[in-house]
Amino acid sequence: MGPNGSGKSTLAGSLMGNETYKVKGERLKVKVDDKDITNLKTEERAREGLFLAFQNPIAVPGVTVPNLLRTALNLSKNPPESKRAVNNPALSFSEFNKRLLTTSKQFNIPQEFLKRSLNEEFSGGEKKKLEMLQAVMLKPKFAIFDEIDTGLDVDALKIIARGILELKKNGTGIIVITHYNRILKYAQPDYVHILADGSLVETGNKSLALEIEKNGYKKWTNKIL
Amino acid sequence: MQSPNPISDYKYGFHKPENYAFKSKKGLSKSVVEEISYHKNEPEWMKNFRLEALDIYYSKKIPQWGGDLNHIPFDDITYYMSPTDRKVNSWKDLPKDIKDTYDRIGIPEAEKKFLGGVSAQYESEVVYKSIQKTLSAKGVIFLDMDSGLRQYPDLVKEYFGTIIPPVDNKFSALNSAVWSGGSFIYVPKGIRVELPLQAYFRINAANMGQFERTLIIADEGSFVHYVEGCTAPIYTTDSLHAAVVEIIVKKGARVRYTTIQNWSTNVYNLVTKRMRVEEEAVGEWIDGNLGSKLTMKYPSVYLVGKGAKGEILSVAVAGKGQHQDAGGKAIHVAPYTTSKITSKSVSSAGGRTSYRGLIQMLHSAKKAKTKVVCDALLVDDFSRSDTYPTMDIRHNDIQVEHEATVSKIGNDQLFYLQSRGLKKADAEAMIVNGFIEPIVKEIPLEYAVELNRLIQMEMEGSVG
Repeated sequence: MGPNGSGKSTLAGSLMGNETYKVKGERLKVKVDDKDITNLKTEERAREGLFLAFQNPIAVPGVTVPNLLRTALNLSKNPPESKRAVNNPALSFSEFNKRLLTTSKQFNIPQEFLKRSLNEEFSGGEKKKLEMLQAVMLKPKFAIFDEIDTGLDVDALKIIARGILELKKNGTGIIVITHYNRILKYAQPDYVHILADGSLVETGNKSLALEIEKNGYKKWTNKIL
Repeated sequence: MQSPNPISDYKYGFHKPENYAFKSKKGLSKSVVEEISYHKNEPEWMKNFRLEALDIYYSKKIPQWGGDLNHIPFDDITYYMSPTDRKVNSWKDLPKDIKDTYDRIGIPEAEKKFLGGVSAQYESEVVYKSIQKTLSAKGVIFLDMDSGLRQYPDLVKEYFGTIIPPVDNKFSALNSAVWSGGSFIYVPKGIRVELPLQAYFRINAANMGQFERTLIIADEGSFVHYVEGCTAPIYTTDSLHAAVVEIIVKKGARVRYTTIQNWSTNVYNLVTKRMRVEEEAVGEWIDGNLGSKLTMKYPSVYLVGKGAKGEILSVAVAGKGQHQDAGGKAIHVAPYTTSKITSKSVSSAGGRTSYRGLIQMLHSAKKAKTKVVCDALLVDDFSRSDTYPTMDIRHNDIQVEHEATVSKIGNDQLFYLQSRGLKKADAEAMIVNGFIEPIVKEIPLEYAVELNRLIQMEMEGSVG
């Protein structure tokens, strides 16, 4: 959690290897388990089991979600066991379709959405559900959800939270970037971290989120909010 | 560093030793044209047609618009050769040499799948042909153009050169003088040919020009889909492909003509294609241009009957050193005619694409409608795309729509796809394939697969 402009999305992008950001300093490292991924390309990080659900998923005309997922899953088909994301085995075509069907039903995603272009002409909430669908299909070791709860109605929020809990149950480590307490009601966090002015300023538990809801971020930042 | 461009050294870039029964000497002359006609044992009128076309060819200057045509080595080109005197009717009788070549581009598989009949052209002459019984039982004629002229001289004479006369342009005149091969198709009244008819064209000798000529006549209420795909080996010197395709779509008929052009990157590909679409008939061009050094091709629909419809889907991909000058023309002559031109072009690794289009609505085209959509995608900062749309409207009571977009692959799109595990080249290929998807879904599956694969190879080559 953290005020606007505190660097939450920048952190998410840096973890995923977005070339817009440069990670400086010897001591700064990004690791997935014990593996140092600081110098890996974005796609290599993804294959190490890192996943980012975008705050504003970009449209890619003519490419469908199943098309992207099938390609992504095929890419993780052949690396040695150690390089594989958690539970990310190669799927046959029919297995893939079966899993896609069940997973999309689980998130109330109409079949028709899967035929449409990626993130094109979908509502904000629909896009977020499709990000969650990808996360659950890809079963990453670690998943970052950048404001997955923004713009969701209460039913969609519950569905998304259920997705987070399911991933967690199956061994995926989760970072949720959020402004609101309400998602934390459904998806119980182990820790709440506060990011302000580009630094991690406080770590606590769920009660920290409640405190922020009440008093805001004044305590941690000099910036005029 | 740029790795070698796969379009210029892709897997079809091999060629077999030459083995020809007859080959004209290099360069063009009256005697070369007479020799071609003599060798083919043509009727007198065709010989005269060729000779008149040759005069027209000489009288016309090399066009100075579009791409650069000033370096075509006309005198270094062999204008005619026949690979063998013998015709074969089945795959197993085909000379091994030629069969090997076709095996490598997967023709047997294509045949198995959905061929209504095969007419494959090796060099200038059709050497392999099989027509399924169903076609002839329906009275459908599907021959190579030379056989068409021999077996149906009156039908050929009635239509040949009526849609694209030799005077149309310098290269239609050249084709008319030296044409060889191509397809001749006649579909009788009310007959629907459900499976696409396919032909494969190849050129395989250095400096060998290929001048095929296709004539399709769809009689009233009939339907046919013709598919033409080209893969060509690589040569060391420039090569010329100047084809002419004439199509007559009679009242209530529908013709779809699909081309995937994939010449090697030293070929000048200058093709004139035109359909005459009569009352309530539908004419459709699907035109994919991937290969060649320079392509200049603008498939046209002449909407001459009330309510005639024309549609042109054009997709062009230009890689390193390539210029694709493509587009379409719709000429509205009759009232209530409609046309739609959709063009998608992709430029990468410094390649250049141009959309060049013409919409003409004559005084007689009351209530005509047209829609032109042209979208260009730039893969990098040093590739180029231009649009040259021309509209000539002479009636007030008409409807015209024109949309054009140019976009560049965005870093945020690449990052998104890379975050799902795709390499940059794979991400680019996925974006490009997505961009052309609206057109690719209209072409037969195996061509679509090959097209997607070629784009994948192109993107792998353009990422340093």
